Amino acid sequence: MTPNVIEGGAPSRGRASLTSFLKNVAPALPLLAIIGYFFLFPIGRLIYVSFMSNENTFTLDNFRTTMQEPYRSGFINSIKIGLFSAAIAALPGAIAAYFIESRGPVKLRRTISVMSGVLANTGGVPLAFMFYAALGIQGQLTKVLKFFGWDIYAGRFSLATFLGLLIVYLYFQLPLMVIVFSPAIVALRREWSEAARNLGASQLNYWIKIGIPLLFPSFIASFLLLFASGFSAYATANALTIGDIALTPLQIGGLLDGNVSAAQLNLGKALGVVMIVISAFAVIPYLAIQRRSARWQKQ
Amino acid sequence: MKRKLDLPLTITLSALALFVFIPMLSAFEFSIRTPAKGGYGWDQYLWAIREEEFFYYIIRSGWLAAVTVLITLIVLVPTMTWLHLSKSTIRPFVDGISLLPLVIPVVAFAVGAQISFPEFVQDTVLELPFLYFVLALPYAYRTLDIGLNSIPLKTLTEAARSAGANWWRTIITVIIPVIKSAVVGTVAITFALSLGEYTLTVLLHWDTFPTWVTFVAQENILGAIAISMMSLIIPFLVLTAVTLVSPERSTQGRK
Repeated sequence: MTPNVIEGGAPSRGRASLTSFLKNVAPALPLLAIIGYFFLFPIGRLIYVSFMSNENTFTLDNFRTTMQEPYRSGFINSIKIGLFSAAIAALPGAIAAYFIESRGPVKLRRTISVMSGVLANTGGVPLAFMFYAALGIQGQLTKVLKFFGWDIYAGRFSLATFLGLLIVYLYFQLPLMVIVFSPAIVALRREWSEAARNLGASQLNYWIKIGIPLLFPSFIASFLLLFASGFSAYATANALTIGDIALTPLQIGGLLDGNVSAAQLNLGKALGVVMIVISAFAVIPYLAIQRRSARWQKQ
Repeated sequence: MKRKLDLPLTITLSALALFVFIPMLSAFEFSIRTPAKGGYGWDQYLWAIREEEFFYYIIRSGWLAAVTVLITLIVLVPTMTWLHLSKSTIRPFVDGISLLPLVIPVVAFAVGAQISFPEFVQDTVLELPFLYFVLALPYAYRTLDIGLNSIPLKTLTEAARSAGANWWRTIITVIIPVIKSAVVGTVAITFALSLGEYTLTVLLHWDTFPTWVTFVAQENILGAIAISMMSLIIPFLVLTAVTLVSPERSTQGRK
């Protein structure tokens, strides 16, 4: 599935004797058993079943259908909302993380980190309510904007459109950016900027030659994680739209609930597998960059 | 730390506050409306807590989250401590698969879970804590990893062992107190995630507090908004209490 799994070949070397196996692996067995049964097994089975026809024979038809309408636009829209919401949230989130982590007092940093944690996990109906209350037709912000002469509902805007969904997604994407980008800021050492200044570098020089190059990989990594988060979000899209925007997570949910029927019983599984593949393209580089930057971030 | 008014920080915080609080306060304003009488009141909140299901689902979600935390404390914390101490060759492997759930979209995971487990697993709500544990694993794992990397683990363990403590005792009385803030962080993440989990829960057809809110929304929208507000505020208060009570010890080693 991923390069990570291949490393699992290592313990077989220690099979020479039972005792060395016990010493090397046994204490980790409970954890491995839980991960194996409740995670690797369902994912493995998902992949296996996605290649099964209705008659339980091997087929690629499920995957062929995932590339046709309406599933094709589902993927396109999901990728678009992932990319757009990540692109819009990344820079403001990074800047906010910088000012909070580098200038905020301890108590403030803690409060922000707790709040970000809660907000990054908001979604679904509660989040939909908040935005209906603010930007719905009767919303508070809608009224204020109208008072100042901007009727956002004059055109075709509604929260159930792509643009509406995008705005709502920012509500959890921005805090997520603050969370994932903060460790990189924390690891920027004050000594470096002082050393640069002692050597005659201006503030701008420091940022161009040291600060930005150091933070850039973490920035890209955070962007990738945000993409994956926006791409796979289900609860919020489910609460806001009534099937008027094709999004893969909703299509899978519909197939799973039996609300939508398809000629192919295992189509939902194939859609799930394609989602995993797309998400892996973002998350695996994220993990790799994280691991690399963890080296200099260690103090 | 200087307490002078810091302009960039003030601007950042104000912008964030607007962004966060405009939707939140708008929803709050709706939740305290009393359409029958006109004006404002706590009617919707009183209505919500008088609903029988309210406490039923709060308790249910609470204990499911507590079981998830328990699995984390009993299985994850000792295993990771052991992995850091021993020179086990499987550590890179465990590292890898612990982060892997990040790759899997929850919807896809839900489909996998639905088609994999035998009936006796699918019939008990106790499958949820294990699945929540998997969802929280990457975050829990990383938080603990940072905590364990920041202490002289080997020295501490050797000291405890030579003073006669066995493995379990070493982990419980020496290691855990030292990495307390990382453990608190891990517990907070796991608890918050389990308490608010919606996608997996609803797709596997279980009812918890977050899915109940969706149901209420169909019959009493203002009441559902009130419940939503509480579902945001309760985890926030719990987490703030947990992190503020925990000792001032930065795992990042920054002073």
